[in-house]
Amino acid sequence: MNRRVGIGAIDKKKLTEARFRDRGEELAADQLRQLSSQLGTLKSKVEEFAEKHKNEIRKNLEFRRQFQEMCASIGVDPLASSKGFWSEMLGVGDFYYELGVQIVEVCMATNHKNGGIMPLEELFQRVVRSRRKTSGQQLSTDDILRAIDKLKILGNGFTLIKLDRGRILVQSVPGELSLDQNQVIQVAQETACITVLDLKVKLKWQEERSKKVLQDMVSSGFAWVDLQAGVGNSDIVYWFPTLFSASFNSDATS
Amino acid sequence: MSTQDKFEMPWQYSFPPFFTLQPNLDTRKLQLDAWCALVLSYFRTHRLCVIDVNESQSSPLFSNTTLNRKLSPETISVILDELRKTGNLEWIDKNKRRAWVLWKSVDEWAKVLYRWAVDNGMLSTVCTFYELIHGQDTTEEEFHGMDQDLLLKALRCLEHQKRAEIISMDGNMGVKFF
Repeated sequence: MNRRVGIGAIDKKKLTEARFRDRGEELAADQLRQLSSQLGTLKSKVEEFAEKHKNEIRKNLEFRRQFQEMCASIGVDPLASSKGFWSEMLGVGDFYYELGVQIVEVCMATNHKNGGIMPLEELFQRVVRSRRKTSGQQLSTDDILRAIDKLKILGNGFTLIKLDRGRILVQSVPGELSLDQNQVIQVAQETACITVLDLKVKLKWQEERSKKVLQDMVSSGFAWVDLQAGVGNSDIVYWFPTLFSASFNSDATS
Repeated sequence: MSTQDKFEMPWQYSFPPFFTLQPNLDTRKLQLDAWCALVLSYFRTHRLCVIDVNESQSSPLFSNTTLNRKLSPETISVILDELRKTGNLEWIDKNKRRAWVLWKSVDEWAKVLYRWAVDNGMLSTVCTFYELIHGQDTTEEEFHGMDQDLLLKALRCLEHQKRAEIISMDGNMGVKFF
């Protein structure tokens, strides 16, 4: 092999590199062209599909869910923007936008009652009831979750608290539950109530910590105190109306 | 009592802390509103007019034996005071032992009575208080079984409007509507 040394060799090497680079860019541009044309075809196909099944998507909840999943798997989000093709052609954006507004309305109307936390199922029932007069569209809890997801753009006003057995609480007050408060709710979810002793046994918390967390929850309206539980009235039992009405599923109307 | 069976307690009645006055003021407001609504609907359903503070402590309204929870006398008086503020309660005596629970205002009672007189052709006829409260003809009326003093109050209202005259006959009270 020739040993190339000196200025000439370096120049030549640079030249080769430049050529490779040019060729590489050409190839990349080519691929990009191809890809974008493919994407264009895909987009127009999806658009065609959406246009054709517009009513179906708006009316049929199962169909809507499948369409959403299809879009998600190819990396298209029909709800990403309220403007543009999707909402104009399809009204899908509008659908979730309206739903979002209704969710906010329901949450505001019940805030005083539940301290801003409501089981997903109850929220769903209330939204369905408030819509019944105006539209014949079917609705699922899946739609509610999607709409809430969109509401997150507006800040951390809405949070989902996941409980056992797929139960979900929707929190609509600004400010998140602290980690400790979240744990308290997890522990209390079956009975809807809790004591300092429960927390000591189940979470190994010191009394001071438990008292602080529970007091905070009373202050923010999440918890009610019951002074008539113990024999000596020494033990306060803290109750959570949200968990309570969830388990008894009553009085969704008042 | 048949009306008692029909009465359905709200969900809060099964919620143990409902019987402890809440320290958080927002929560307390909710609690008192719910209690006031419960008291009024309970009295309306049972067609009761008078609450006796001492007796009420053991009434099923304020005491849930299933849960073993009851309201303290202090909490009851807070609730009654709340009802007074909204015009739904009027103390009968100065010591605040007994009160009228006005699930209808005195004005509304007056209207109900006058409407009954008109609808039943009782104008220009004398009806005794006893007939109004306990008579066969009024069993379906809301004022059937009404407290006599409250009835008198409502009729005074009508008297003031020149639509009735209260008559006393040998210690029996009566009224003539016109």
